Amino acid sequence: MYGESGELMRTELAALLRLHRIQQQLGGPRRQAPYGSAPLVEREQFGRVIRCYRQTIIAWCSDAMRTVQPVTFSNLPAKASNPFRPHTMSGTAAAELFRALEHSRTHSSAPLASLELLGTPSDNTVVEHWRHAARGAALAEHDTTGDLAERLTAPQAQAILGDVAAIARALVVLDQRYSNTPGWEHLSQFDRLGWTALATALDVSLGQPDYTVDQTGWRPRVKPLQGPPKPGILGVLQAEHNLLVRLKSVPTAMNLRLIVDSQRLLSNQLVPYAERIDPRLASLWQTRAATYALIQQQLRNLGGRLGKGNGAAAEGANVLGRLKSVTPGTVIEPRVLAGFQTLFNHVDTRLANLIEDGVELGTLLQRVSLPRLVDTTEQLIHPLRERLVPVARPSDLPVVRTVREQLRPPSGGAQPATPGRSRADLHAALVHRPTSSCALERESPGL
Amino acid sequence: MEPQHLRTLARARSLVAALADGAQTVEASSGYERVLIELDRVHGDESPALDTRGLSTDRGVLLAEATSTIEELAEHGVDALDIELVLALLTDAHFLDVN
Repeated sequence: MYGESGELMRTELAALLRLHRIQQQLGGPRRQAPYGSAPLVEREQFGRVIRCYRQTIIAWCSDAMRTVQPVTFSNLPAKASNPFRPHTMSGTAAAELFRALEHSRTHSSAPLASLELLGTPSDNTVVEHWRHAARGAALAEHDTTGDLAERLTAPQAQAILGDVAAIARALVVLDQRYSNTPGWEHLSQFDRLGWTALATALDVSLGQPDYTVDQTGWRPRVKPLQGPPKPGILGVLQAEHNLLVRLKSVPTAMNLRLIVDSQRLLSNQLVPYAERIDPRLASLWQTRAATYALIQQQLRNLGGRLGKGNGAAAEGANVLGRLKSVTPGTVIEPRVLAGFQTLFNHVDTRLANLIEDGVELGTLLQRVSLPRLVDTTEQLIHPLRERLVPVARPSDLPVVRTVREQLRPPSGGAQPATPGRSRADLHAALVHRPTSSCALERESPGL
Repeated sequence: MEPQHLRTLARARSLVAALADGAQTVEASSGYERVLIELDRVHGDESPALDTRGLSTDRGVLLAEATSTIEELAEHGVDALDIELVLALLTDAHFLDVN
């Protein structure tokens, strides 16, 4: 997820920006030694490694710029131009930043950090911060390339652009600070890179970046919680989580009814526990149980043997079995209740999708009513040719209406995404001045 | 399935559904729902739609009629053991309902 990899980069760079008197820091464990006493070769070696890490970060910045390029528009008022001409980034701050980053990348003699360099911890604090920042950059490549490029919105692109600009500015500041490192190679045209990064940051600040981009990118696969059932209510939570994971496969109509039944009973039976801790959740779960009861009724006239879902149905049975073993007076922590609510939202969304898609695609079929025997008509009764028929207009089906109107969690309730602490921290680190403790340190004898 | 078999099955499903809708507790309603699902499983989920018209409002009558209709399925070739299992589920659900 970009939120995690981006935060890792920003946090480590902010920490590096707050480190001063770098040559002594590069001296490793001999920090108390006088200036310049660390062996030259050792510092040169550290410098070489740091440049590899820096090259990895620049490479990510450049790749991210390439990804956001198609949906990047300047926030500065543009001159009236022909709208039928294709949009180009030429002349904008973002275009110049991209060019400066590409220049720095291609004119550096340092290679990208190898997997070994990225994975081997160092005793030196400075190098270790650089290593983590480079790891963040390497991981972010998963998040800001590929599929994201197709789904990225312009405000989300602005958020990434702002991040790249801040990171580029941090690299320029650090580049100057490390100039006394033996064998150090400055960023090519670092002044241009710094100014274009500043211009881009200003341009981004005129718009409204969308930080939901933090939620995009690669995520590890959600796996079932294996092992023996956890004791008490945690066992129920474990089974509910596993049910959600197993719902990845499409269930048959009968298994779907079993799953719906398990959710109805679970919501209903959790209400007394929630009432003691969080009455708002208790009320929500009461409503959820009623919704599932209605869906259960409406699913009786739907059938279909396509799909599987045995695993999910079994986990539903586990949920109910383990819930029976919970002592009635048990106090459930708010954290566990919130965990249930999160899982409920996911399960509801998944079931809503399964029902809507099932009806739409014909895996859920409508049962046919039998013709009634009426004595007053003299017509023959035709035997049934089909027992299950596809639904002609899914939106007319009561279960689809219930799912849309009652089951699906509201999407507008989410809090607006915020820039997060790491962005503010990096900006603060970019403009910070050494604190009094640093000043005192500088004045101490022997430093 | 023969038309008469389908008719008996539809009747049995409708009676059990009516019992589920009028159950006193969520647990009992869920118990009747399990009977319904089991009936569908026995018939390969090819059951006809419910027809709730003309059903009694007396729960005792509904239960007795549901029991006899399910037993009647044996005449249409449904395995006797399956029928006993469905009846056992129905008894469990009724027990939850009255207690």
